[in-house]
Amino acid sequence: MKITYPHMGSLNMILKTMFEGIGVEVIDPPPSTNKTLTLGVRNSHEFACLPFKINVGNFIEALDRGADTIIMLGGIGPCRFGYYGQVQREILKDLGYDFKMIIVDPPHGRLIDFLKELASYFPNVDGKTALKSFVFAVKKMIAADKLEKFLLKYRAHEDKPGVTTKIYEEYMKKLEKAQNGKEVDKIVSEAMKKIKENANVRRKIQLKVALVGEIYMLLEPFTNMDISKSLNELGVEVTKTEYLSDYLINSAFKLPQRMEFKKNARGYLERDIGGHGLNTVANTVKYAKLNYDGVIHILPFTCTPEIVAQGIIAKISRDYNIPVMSLVYDENTGQAGYQTRLEAFVDLLYRKRMEVIC
Amino acid sequence: MSKTVGIPKGLLYYDFYPMWKTFFEGVGAKVVVSQDTNKKILDEGVKNCVEDACLPVKTYVGHVINLKEKDVDYIFIPRIVSVERKKYLCSKFLGLPDFIKSLIGDLPPIIDIEINYYKNNDEFTQNEFIKVGRMFGKTKDQSLKAYFEATHQQKKFESLLKEGLTNLEALKVWEGKNLVKEESNYDLKIAVIAHPYDIMDEYISMGIIEKLKNMGAQVYTMEMLQKDLILEGASMLSKEMFWNYERDILGAGLYFLKQKNVDGVIMVSAFGCGPNSMTEELLERIFKREKEVPFMLITIDEHSGEAGIMTRLEAFTDLLRFNKKAVMV
Repeated sequence: MKITYPHMGSLNMILKTMFEGIGVEVIDPPPSTNKTLTLGVRNSHEFACLPFKINVGNFIEALDRGADTIIMLGGIGPCRFGYYGQVQREILKDLGYDFKMIIVDPPHGRLIDFLKELASYFPNVDGKTALKSFVFAVKKMIAADKLEKFLLKYRAHEDKPGVTTKIYEEYMKKLEKAQNGKEVDKIVSEAMKKIKENANVRRKIQLKVALVGEIYMLLEPFTNMDISKSLNELGVEVTKTEYLSDYLINSAFKLPQRMEFKKNARGYLERDIGGHGLNTVANTVKYAKLNYDGVIHILPFTCTPEIVAQGIIAKISRDYNIPVMSLVYDENTGQAGYQTRLEAFVDLLYRKRMEVIC
Repeated sequence: MSKTVGIPKGLLYYDFYPMWKTFFEGVGAKVVVSQDTNKKILDEGVKNCVEDACLPVKTYVGHVINLKEKDVDYIFIPRIVSVERKKYLCSKFLGLPDFIKSLIGDLPPIIDIEINYYKNNDEFTQNEFIKVGRMFGKTKDQSLKAYFEATHQQKKFESLLKEGLTNLEALKVWEGKNLVKEESNYDLKIAVIAHPYDIMDEYISMGIIEKLKNMGAQVYTMEMLQKDLILEGASMLSKEMFWNYERDILGAGLYFLKQKNVDGVIMVSAFGCGPNSMTEELLERIFKREKEVPFMLITIDEHSGEAGIMTRLEAFTDLLRFNKKAVMV
């Protein structure tokens, strides 16, 4: 059995660690590129969202490399993600691939159910080894996310353009290969030290922007054209509101954060509407209250929950007097156009701050 | 003087109007419905809505603005989360009142009760309607009486659908109007599968159903099918859809494919419809594999030209007739 799975931020690193820990062969889908996107777009419905299309591209590329089993998450709605696997299986079947698709349907969206369901597909693996490799995988994920949070703040202050990104990429590779917990800790602290040493630029006006929106778009630098890097290079500190590790911790101990979201969104959106619509609204309110300079909302084209959120956060923007920009991504997105929009947005934020000072 | 309640003529209006109207009249309110969709309503909707929202939502926004201009005392925008156990509706219905309130300023008070059968039984809905009754100074018993009369009327309306009327025709009959007698020399049978809010609004769908009838086709919609037939169709898939209307679309499509009791199937959906991107993809693939029943997709948006739709419908009906003749010869 040669397993593959879709890309989603640091997910591939974690899944690889986990499956190799229990002795299953893994075929990583090649990193998402324009070719991946083209393959996905050609074989998907035009209004399927960008994550769906990239998934399809990932699967095709991995199957071409010899994978024979695909692992995909299911769901119970109302986001259409829950039905992705079913549709993708038919698409790949029509393309003539011979493969097995394991769609893990967590009945209540709880982490423990997910693991139980997943374990049922691997009867020969003993529970102890599986749990051990899972715990280690989670440790790596938390480390990777911690490093990214650090990066998004300090890259805005880097001395030479590009130096921080280089350090980050180098240490992420090391992290991927790390074999035990001690090594992971060492890599993270070393990387943080190095990034800090190279970040000495201080500004009179330091802008802070929160990135809210759909989780896949936030996690995958390829799909959002590395928006946080573009912002950092314009000298803006970035706070990303969705991380896989947060997501995992939330689904294990679901209640507290959901309560926080509901509390923050009260008056604007009164219930969960599927996907990350509620999170987007709640986070916009949260960062507006924290006096951030602006909020950037990113979403894939035709994502219904985010479209509802888009309408609502425009009102939050007026109520809290905080600039909000929604960026919609599809397969035709040109990088130059988005760069211009980001620069204009950042200029606007500077002007707003200058008015306050004068 | 009795208070007026505005009901926008969009989205689930075509499915639940009899129930809503009966209830509000039962608690002593006067019901005002927005005008039929026209250019002004659509333009207002497009102007005030988020650019990427789907066509029916934009139209709905236009209808709410139309009601606002009519100075109604309340506007009824329910939050319909689920109308069937363990099934959802599309995300836009879950956040509809919040969305509308954010888009349009200075609205009259919105009645945004929650309809949610996901985990709840009918009692939950009854309590929501009792809350509405209280706004009009009615006691619990009075509201419940109105509610039961409303569900009774809704059942009457739904049995009209099962007799083979489209939602629009059934609404007319339910309101006591006469239907124009149609000539019944149809030589084709075509199933039009779509959300009622896409095909029943004659302005945004450009009268697809009427056009097909004029071309000599008898039209079947998924509302006309008994529920067990839809479920029978849906059971051919390995995982049932978690939205009930999309489950119906898939189920109806697969039922027609299996029974082959229609000459062709047309699926209509709105530009940028998220849920339909899944159902269309599946249906189109399955129909193509079987190669038994011709299948066509039509996407409508605020720019669709009538001529384009006309050409495609004519081409499709020609093809179906050609198929039929080929079999006879």
